[in-house]
Amino acid sequence: MNAASSDTYTGRIWRRFSADAFARNGLRIVIALFVIAALAPLLANSHAILRVADGQISFPLFSSLESIEWRFLIYVPLGGLAFLFRQNFVARPGRSALIFAGIIAVVEIAIALHHPINDSTNDRDRAASFKLMPPIVYSPIESTLDQFAPPSRRHPCGTDSTGRDIAARLLHGARISLSIGFVSQTIALSIGILFGGLAGYYRGWSDIVVCRFIEIMDCFPSLLLILVIISFTGSQNNIFVIMAVIGFTSWTGVARLVRGEFLRLSAQPFTLAAKAVGAGDARIILRHLLPNSLGPILVVGTFGVASAILIESSLSFLGFGMQAPTPSWGDILSESRRYIDFAWWLAFFPGLAILITIMSYNFVGEGLRDAVDPRLRVK
Amino acid sequence: MTTYLIRRLLLLVPTLIGITLLTFLLIRLAPGNAALLKGGGGENGGRAMTAEQRETVIKLYDLDKPAHVAYALWIWKVFHGNLGDSFVDHRPVTQKISERLPLTISLTGTSLILSYLVAIPLGVVAAIKRGQTVDRTISFVVFVLYSIPSFAAALLLILFVAGGDYLNLLPMYGKNSINASEMSDGAWLLDRIRHMILPVICLTYASLASISRYARVSMLEVLGQDFIRTARAKGLAERVVILRHALRNALIPIITIFTLELPVLISGAIILEEIFSLPGMGQLVFQSLESRDIPVIMGCTTLAAVITLLSYLLADILYVAVDPRITYE
Repeated sequence: MNAASSDTYTGRIWRRFSADAFARNGLRIVIALFVIAALAPLLANSHAILRVADGQISFPLFSSLESIEWRFLIYVPLGGLAFLFRQNFVARPGRSALIFAGIIAVVEIAIALHHPINDSTNDRDRAASFKLMPPIVYSPIESTLDQFAPPSRRHPCGTDSTGRDIAARLLHGARISLSIGFVSQTIALSIGILFGGLAGYYRGWSDIVVCRFIEIMDCFPSLLLILVIISFTGSQNNIFVIMAVIGFTSWTGVARLVRGEFLRLSAQPFTLAAKAVGAGDARIILRHLLPNSLGPILVVGTFGVASAILIESSLSFLGFGMQAPTPSWGDILSESRRYIDFAWWLAFFPGLAILITIMSYNFVGEGLRDAVDPRLRVK
Repeated sequence: MTTYLIRRLLLLVPTLIGITLLTFLLIRLAPGNAALLKGGGGENGGRAMTAEQRETVIKLYDLDKPAHVAYALWIWKVFHGNLGDSFVDHRPVTQKISERLPLTISLTGTSLILSYLVAIPLGVVAAIKRGQTVDRTISFVVFVLYSIPSFAAALLLILFVAGGDYLNLLPMYGKNSINASEMSDGAWLLDRIRHMILPVICLTYASLASISRYARVSMLEVLGQDFIRTARAKGLAERVVILRHALRNALIPIITIFTLELPVLISGAIILEEIFSLPGMGQLVFQSLESRDIPVIMGCTTLAAVITLLSYLLADILYVAVDPRITYE
């Protein structure tokens, strides 16, 4: 990137952000976690990646993958690539849209044609002339006779009451935690921007109504509201219910912020100038107010992801989380309660995973806050 | 000021009605109700109940009326100072809540005071040693603490210091030992304190980060002001400058933040009370939610909402009271 193009608002924020070692490393860990989550089936699986036996070459791991796992494996790296080459796409939006549509069509057709082989036998003990196993040779929902094994070479994080490998469950659980954090905050940001924007831009009645509503939402003890809403769906939840519930209950902070920013920016000369030349509401909001408040919004969103991950694990811990065999960090912690007098690894490793994730998100949020508003810089 | 107060108090009414209405509708519309859970048998367990008995129970709990009518009946009773009786054991809601409040307040209150007693000095020291190793260490440590999920910390603390295969220094759960009723007052108190140590620690450590950060920022702001330079210039000892001139002024914004945290006192801590089997408010709410005990949930929510709204108001009033430059006229 040359000097001229980096001296933009975003460029300056990025430079200040990456000057902060904590923030930089926090971002690295977050990206690493996403990579781990995307590659989880390749990292922990009882099937071999490559198996040569009886003169036949097979890829048991890949043929056992469900379509949702294929989507994770393909779309997450694709998203990363798209982000890296975003400038090429912006330059030619029409052609890029076509390319994207094409890739998605090909991938979806391939996934539709793929029939996962439900082979419950594992390749660990199966004889083969050559086999390449994943780093962790257990699947997350695979029970073994090796119950309550403390951490060892075979099971780096030990096993639980039914002999499931904790490391495998943690790796697969990363997907749940990370995607819940990300999606629920996207929902929260959308609602918060909508309501906060309405209140801050139009003021008057919409402001009064929105502010009362925010006050009402904030009066509930946070977990209580979530627990009430989640009781509609019972204890058998899927990931989307959890995402929606967390999203719909954590937007008030964003709305307050957006309202404040819009109120502040509405009085700024550039907004008045836009109004004076006859720009419509939509143009002023989308082109002037929103872009100028994106920095602080992003900061709140980042901290929000951290707290959403914490909320999700609390919910699983209380037994309101994901359906039973799904590996989730809070669920492992919850199970550890029953065996807490000896099985420290059941509580320690998921706790550590949550700690690392939340801490790196918070470091990113902190760095972003300092970068967006240097006046707040406390160092 | 009086008109401001009256206006603010009047504004509380629609908010309170909104909160209670929302809660009421949500619980009423949620699948499953107290009558079914009580005697429905089937998937929810419970004693078998004849259809006739179930009808009686449903009538008794106003579950046959539409939700808005039932809400009107509930709020009518509240205006007469009656929060109703629990669906589960038919004891008055006020009694159930007042049984649990002392434990919750002693737990959350200790934790709240403790967190300020620890965090303010940390923040002040960090501000004085701005940018030095001490400052950065404090910031980092409280940040790590903030990121540890409290339930994981609670489980590991139980495992390692309370009755697991390792140290056995503190009791694992409960608010007292089984033989507490036979103890003398002193021994009873000591027993209670021993039971509260772990829950208080778990409830406290995470809040150190935000409070110490506020204290630090507030202190830095004061330290940069002219009157501090004047105090130093006239030759006052640094200790006097910090403690008497800077700290007092730095505490002003912290009072407001403290006020905003008061609602925690009565809402309790659902997860920690579950883990440590403490019969506090959090556990009461959680249990009544599971048994769809509408009067108890409504009572707890209303109490929490009133305290929250009042503490917002108190924070605003204190803001004016401690800083004569601000008025609401």
